Amino acid sequence: MSLETPLDLLKLNLDEKVYVKLRGARELVGILQAFDSHCNIVLSDAVETIYELVDGELKSNEKTSEMLFVRGDTVTLITTPTDDE
Amino acid sequence: MSFFGFDTSGPASGNVHGSSGNSNKPLDFEDTYRGFGEYEREEDDYLNDETFGAEVEFGTDFDFGHSNLGGGASGSRSANVSGQGATTSGSYATNSRSYAVAASSAPVQQQQQQQQPMDTNLDMRPMESLWGNEPVQNMLPPQLQQQQPQQQQQQQQPSQPPQPPQQQQNVMPQGPLPGAISMEELERQQRQMQISNQQTFIQGYPHQPIPQGNAQFGNQYQMNMPPGIPGQYQQMPPQMFPQQQQGQQQQFPPQMYPQQQMNFMSQQFQPPQPHMLQQKQPQQPQQQMQQPQQQAPQQQPVQQQPSQQQQLPPQQLQHADVESLASSDASQKYASSLPTPPHQHSPLYQQREGVNQNTMRESNRRMSKRGEPLSPEEQKRLQIRQAKVEKILKNAGLMTPRDKDFITRYQLSQIVTEDPYNEDFYYQVYKIIQSGGIAGKSNKDLIARAYLEHSGHRLGGRYKRADVALQRMQNQVEKAVTVAKERPQKNKDHSDIAREGVLGKISSAMNSKAPRRQLQIPSPKSGEEEDEELSGKLSNASTPVLEEVTESLNNVGISENSRSRRRSSYAFSSVDQSSVLSRSGGRKFVLSLIESVYEVVLELEAQLRSGKTTDNSSLWESLHIGDESFEVCPFISMLSFDKGVKIIPRIFNFLDKQQKLQLLQTFFSELSHLNVIIISSFKTNPSPTDSQLKKIELFQAVFLKIIVSFLSSSANFIEIMGLLLHLIRNNNVSFISTSKLGLNLITILISRAALIKQDSNRTNSLSSPDIQAWNEVYDKLFISLETKLSLVFPPKDYQDKVVKETSSSLPSSSSSTGSSPQQSSPQYYDQAYIWQFLASLALSGKLNHQRIIIDEIRDEIFGTINSAEDLTKANPQDQSALYRREKLYQDLNLFLNVMGLVARNGEISELK
Repeated sequence: MSLETPLDLLKLNLDEKVYVKLRGARELVGILQAFDSHCNIVLSDAVETIYELVDGELKSNEKTSEMLFVRGDTVTLITTPTDDE
Repeated sequence: MSFFGFDTSGPASGNVHGSSGNSNKPLDFEDTYRGFGEYEREEDDYLNDETFGAEVEFGTDFDFGHSNLGGGASGSRSANVSGQGATTSGSYATNSRSYAVAASSAPVQQQQQQQQPMDTNLDMRPMESLWGNEPVQNMLPPQLQQQQPQQQQQQQQPSQPPQPPQQQQNVMPQGPLPGAISMEELERQQRQMQISNQQTFIQGYPHQPIPQGNAQFGNQYQMNMPPGIPGQYQQMPPQMFPQQQQGQQQQFPPQMYPQQQMNFMSQQFQPPQPHMLQQKQPQQPQQQMQQPQQQAPQQQPVQQQPSQQQQLPPQQLQHADVESLASSDASQKYASSLPTPPHQHSPLYQQREGVNQNTMRESNRRMSKRGEPLSPEEQKRLQIRQAKVEKILKNAGLMTPRDKDFITRYQLSQIVTEDPYNEDFYYQVYKIIQSGGIAGKSNKDLIARAYLEHSGHRLGGRYKRADVALQRMQNQVEKAVTVAKERPQKNKDHSDIAREGVLGKISSAMNSKAPRRQLQIPSPKSGEEEDEELSGKLSNASTPVLEEVTESLNNVGISENSRSRRRSSYAFSSVDQSSVLSRSGGRKFVLSLIESVYEVVLELEAQLRSGKTTDNSSLWESLHIGDESFEVCPFISMLSFDKGVKIIPRIFNFLDKQQKLQLLQTFFSELSHLNVIIISSFKTNPSPTDSQLKKIELFQAVFLKIIVSFLSSSANFIEIMGLLLHLIRNNNVSFISTSKLGLNLITILISRAALIKQDSNRTNSLSSPDIQAWNEVYDKLFISLETKLSLVFPPKDYQDKVVKETSSSLPSSSSSTGSSPQQSSPQYYDQAYIWQFLASLALSGKLNHQRIIIDEIRDEIFGTINSAEDLTKANPQDQSALYRREKLYQDLNLFLNVMGLVARNGEISELK
């Protein structure tokens, strides 16, 4: 397989754990199951972290989902997770 | 048809022709309606709103022509027409001709006719004022008079209902009408006339059969037509249109008509004459005013139609100008009521409109005919029904069946495929699951059915002809499949054309699978690839010769060094994947290799499905087994990823025995580098995480299964020995034995060898050299394990951690009775694999081997017995403890039984 397009890099990470940064101060860590040209992605065993500023204090909420579809227009960044949890 | 409207507001101003007595009578639909609503609409009805103005409510009844005939048709009209000659000059009330008829009669007569109907029911003052202008009109210069008809003809062609010549003559004597009206009144009246005209237009048309029109065509044109149209100009007050005079030829003596007619005819088909052009602009208001008087185009002689249409565009242009110039809104309205070519060319649309109109009108009529007022519910229901019908009919017939077929085919072409298992895999699996594994109907049939269902199609529509609709759809699918068949070929031919001097590629063929890309960066050309191959990065070269060269080049320097390094590096292997990966080309490289493997496997599977013979050489290449260009074989690194492990069973489907063997040799040779071994060893990874444990489990479930099945089905004794030898030679066996996975692998090998050996003892199938060789291999294995045998037992805290991780991932099973987690909870570290290993080792070994084993693990044996006894001491009735105790003895006896011993109730005794 040759790497020609940016999404080919994403293809390499199929079935691997990825970190996805989303709009609205959210991030996801999960196993990449599928993606398409719009960066719509499907994650399994996903942990979503939602950050919000409450009275000037950064708080985060975590949500876990067994399987998750993420619409591509919210995705700002996809990379391999920095720490192995 | 008259140009100026009657005034429904019924101003009290004096009426001409002595019909003032009728002017205040309310309009009665029944009296005036002539049943024209049942007939098709005419071309320009869509302009009704503009013409009538929004203020006119639909269904307003206008009295056009004193028709007391009810549904009178052409017959009644012609009767009236013939009688008109006698009546026109006298009482207008008796004149029941429609305006459509009247509009085309002779100039003077026309005026009368226009006024006659108005006079009866309403005051039609505009006429009165116009009559006063007659003298002026008569004084027009001849050339102007001639020209006027021509222009009018261009735009008003339709105004020629059949009128017998004598009628006109009778009418002629009608005197000028005195009186004048104000501009406002005039405008108002114009508007009203317009409305009435349009009504006549719509309803009157069908009653004038074309044959009749044709029969009288000659008359119309020779006598009525040219003067008749100009006559209408008379109705306009002079102050309104300066050019009006030009159009007032209706005052010409009858004998002049033939001449005018000749002029008109000749000029109509001539290019515009200069003076005519000059006059065009000023005349336009008048022309526009006359528009409503047009008869339906259908009334025109057929021969006239083409010429009229040809003349339309200039007309429109003129009116565009006029609109800006027009001083009254009436003229603007008239301008918009002009027939325009587009509508003449879209009969479908008109027809549809006509249908709607007719249904509306018909129901209106029904309502009114019943005479009795409908109850509110009824009315409401009728309205709802009306609205519904209208809604349905709104776009009905817009698409032809052909259009519909095209759309469905277009949509279907995106969802059908020739190779469903490759391109529509998940649906195929779903289908099999749904239908219980029975491959029932054909794919195309299902698609057709599904498409009909999902598109909200009421199968067969009104008549429930589901079979017909389905059959239709199946045909569509059939066609779509053929289209789809041609598609990939096209794509290959046309897509991705790299243009000279263009940065990216241009993708010409687009479909759902290959949407247009913003920019396609051209892939590196073959020259660069060669460079890469030379540097040893890629081994799948375009030319085999080159590959050989590069490989030999690589082998010279690297392989020797890497081998020695490899053996020494195991001890420093960390849990971190990247350290292993970096020695086999990097993570990205390995991942891309996995993707290549997947691609090849998918392709091979597709070939297998289609019954073609498969060629696994590309697969073998993609596996990079025996690739010496890296410190660690890329294949081993592929197994670091779950997806690399998962694909192995599918790879094995396509490999022959020799390839499988070679794969396993590589696997066992580099076992120490295997990420899974490293993370499963308590030495290198003392605290495994949940995800790591899952990974180990996956590897065990997938890969070990394959190895076991391969060893038990196809591998012979020598081959198994060879694999074991590979393992012993290239790895630190004692390190591998600290890993559950490694221990399992060794167990598999030696137990299988022991089984074969036992079998061969009976059949004498093994030669003595084979047995000799086996003994040597076993000795080597044993030596490497000697003094470290107790290390196969993971330390207690490692066991605890593993138990904790696994139980935390299974929260449901965390019921405990207290005491220590390992013993009391149902989750405990299963040591069965260790005892299995020891049993296999002891089975293959001689007595002295067994003695050494027992010596080394004596503590573990008694420790196990003690812990088993402890379980029941504290709580003899605890079922889970009893079970656990049984399990411990069972596992221990696996090993002890090999040596003829058995552990029972805290004691070890001879196996009887």
